[in-house]
Amino acid sequence: MARTSQPLRPRGSLRGSPTLRLRVGFVLIAMVLSVFGARLVQLQGIDPGSYAAMAAAEGMVNVVLPAERGNILDRNGEPLADSIDGLMVVADPYMTVDQAPEIAKFLAQRLNVDYFTTLQRLRARTANGDYSRFQYIARRVPSTLASDVVTAAAKRGFEGIATRRDPVRDYPAADVAANLIGFLGTDEPLAGLERTFNKQLAGRDGSARYEVGAGNVIPLGQNTVTDAVNGTDLHTTIDRDLQWYTQRVMRQTVEDAQADSGVAVIMDSKTGELLALADYPTFDANAPLESPKKDLGSRAMQDVYEPGSVEKVLTLSALIDAGKVTDRTKLRVPGSLSRQDRVIHDWWAHGLIHLTLAGVVAQSSNIGTVLATDKFKPGQLRSYLSKFGLGQKTNVGVRGETSGLLPDPSQWTHQTQDRVAFGQSVSVNAVQMTAAINTIANSGVRVSPSLIEGTATTADGDVVGTDTTTTRRVVSEDAAHQMMLMMERVIDPEVGVAPGAAVPGYRVAGKTGTAQRVGAQCGCYDGTFTVSFAGFAPADDPRFTIYVVVQNPRNGGGGGSVAGPAFAKMMSYALRRYAVPPTGTRPSRLPIVW
Amino acid sequence: MSSPAVQIRSRVPRFADAAIARARLTVVPRRRVRAARVPFVTLVSLLLLGGVVGLLLFNTSMQQASFASTALEEQAANLTARKQTLQMEVEKLRDPQHVAADAQALGMVLAGPPAYLNLSDGSVTGDPMPATPDNRLRVYAAPPVKPPSIDPRPIHKIVQPQEGILPGTTDPSADTGAGSPANTRSTGTNDSHKNQQSHRQHQNQH
Repeated sequence: MARTSQPLRPRGSLRGSPTLRLRVGFVLIAMVLSVFGARLVQLQGIDPGSYAAMAAAEGMVNVVLPAERGNILDRNGEPLADSIDGLMVVADPYMTVDQAPEIAKFLAQRLNVDYFTTLQRLRARTANGDYSRFQYIARRVPSTLASDVVTAAAKRGFEGIATRRDPVRDYPAADVAANLIGFLGTDEPLAGLERTFNKQLAGRDGSARYEVGAGNVIPLGQNTVTDAVNGTDLHTTIDRDLQWYTQRVMRQTVEDAQADSGVAVIMDSKTGELLALADYPTFDANAPLESPKKDLGSRAMQDVYEPGSVEKVLTLSALIDAGKVTDRTKLRVPGSLSRQDRVIHDWWAHGLIHLTLAGVVAQSSNIGTVLATDKFKPGQLRSYLSKFGLGQKTNVGVRGETSGLLPDPSQWTHQTQDRVAFGQSVSVNAVQMTAAINTIANSGVRVSPSLIEGTATTADGDVVGTDTTTTRRVVSEDAAHQMMLMMERVIDPEVGVAPGAAVPGYRVAGKTGTAQRVGAQCGCYDGTFTVSFAGFAPADDPRFTIYVVVQNPRNGGGGGSVAGPAFAKMMSYALRRYAVPPTGTRPSRLPIVW
Repeated sequence: MSSPAVQIRSRVPRFADAAIARARLTVVPRRRVRAARVPFVTLVSLLLLGGVVGLLLFNTSMQQASFASTALEEQAANLTARKQTLQMEVEKLRDPQHVAADAQALGMVLAGPPAYLNLSDGSVTGDPMPATPDNRLRVYAAPPVKPPSIDPRPIHKIVQPQEGILPGTTDPSADTGAGSPANTRSTGTNDSHKNQQSHRQHQNQH
């Protein structure tokens, strides 16, 4: 048994001595600890901030608390524009691409969006060829509909469709006062009062920052909230129903006359508040892009035109106020009148006729007006017209208002005065002219027009509104009264030119206008006309002043036949709506000839 | 100063000396009373446990409230959205255009000038007129005018009936009353077909 002569080493000794084992153990421990140490240095030494931020961001939620946009209301608190909660439906093409046709079909049916556009978006790729992670499917969807659709989509197993907040601006009355109110673009207001008073309407968004766990706020976690400041409502002086009616009458008038466009203004005679300011053609504020761009503004405020004979009211009342004439002044009116640069005609052919000043108004004689205007001292007419508000903005709060064109004193020649006397060579906007005519209705005191109830500050920093209304006397009460009596003769079916403007049962004072119109192309009178009618009722205690202007009627009508009946409809409706009883007095019987 | 005390001591009888000596104050050995530890430890443990459990319960209830608030907030948001959507629908229905269109569909027209009754003196002013179909307001825009190429003028062709045939019948046999109703109908169809054809021809010529 030589093999067994040497004793075998005990098995345990293979693991070496305790000292060796300890050393190996220490080395291992040291290695592990040094890894920990290195990691510690990496975390705490190199970039501690970003890790702390990551830790904090985990479960931390930042949300914008959106401010609610203020409503735009009419004088009775009816909404012309209001905001409702809405959602946008968005897709993640990375997740939707596999089921794109099915999802597109579903969304096209439920959200009324275009199938092919939606399909493309559900498969959209970014510039570098990856699938996009965010695509709009539909914007400004009422939230109930949007959440219903997303829930239904989830139920059918469609993934990658979600909603985000997206407030909807709704214009319940569609085209009513749309030209004034304007509209919102995708993210900011683009026109009208929406834009002018955006600062007041928009409010200020708030924010909230809190920790969530499984979708719930952690009660004792970090939580900071800055409340949103909601926008303030804008109250206008518009009467929604009256505005609607005025717009419909205006549309019918423009359509029937085959005209280019039309404007109607209804003003409260005493306060200068604009109850209606109608434009045609107009647009649907809920879908502004479906209408041509030129119809999106307010023609009543932004377009100038020559008022024509309606302006005679201002000229003649100024003459009476200056003590040059009375309503019974006798004039010899020839068939034509040669002035330095041109011959002035009347709208109807006549020989020498004997008209009183009332007859000049009732028959709308240019020649008679020019003859009477000769009595003015130099500069007097212009100063009166300026006091009537011509050539100055009304500043009611509509963007881009034109100030009109009253010739400068340096260009004010005798020939200019002749033409200005009957409303040519002078340009106005419709509200300006309404306020000027309203001066006669308001016993010779011009009250500045207003569109905003109370006060509001425009984007330019002007404060406008009924609280800033100013009044100034332009002509004496007696002059205004005489003018009113002459204007009543215009409506008379026997002697006047506009019997169609009569309102049964009421005394109405008014004046027609048929002006030569400056064409857009040539910058000269191009043979088209602006026909208009301005008036107020009841004549002896006026409540409303209405001004109707129709541009370029092609049916051969004038102020009396086109604008007059429209005036009568609006006036009749307004008087009925505000329950204004007839005064019951007898209309004027001023003689028109002598 | 100490004289009264001395006087008292001197008055004390001698026999009390021993008792006095015994009554002298001596240092009393400290008496250690060990409070029972168990109730205190129990109390502290209970307080601690109660605190922890209370805190836990409080936390749980707050968490519970947070769940409830999340659910209720969601419900409130949904209901607000619903309310606003309904409000929008109401506003759409109250739109003057909508009301006017519905009223006209019912055959209503705008009122004419009214009469005013003055209650103070019983007088009647105004010039009342009944509402007539002329008061009808055009609520919708007139349809756009189509160019003549799309909308040709209708062609009216006046055909003189032949001698001896009643107007409205083309078949002389119908005059006799022998034609069955079915026969008449088919004749009529043929007739209108012919008319259409002639109309089409006319259009082509046009």
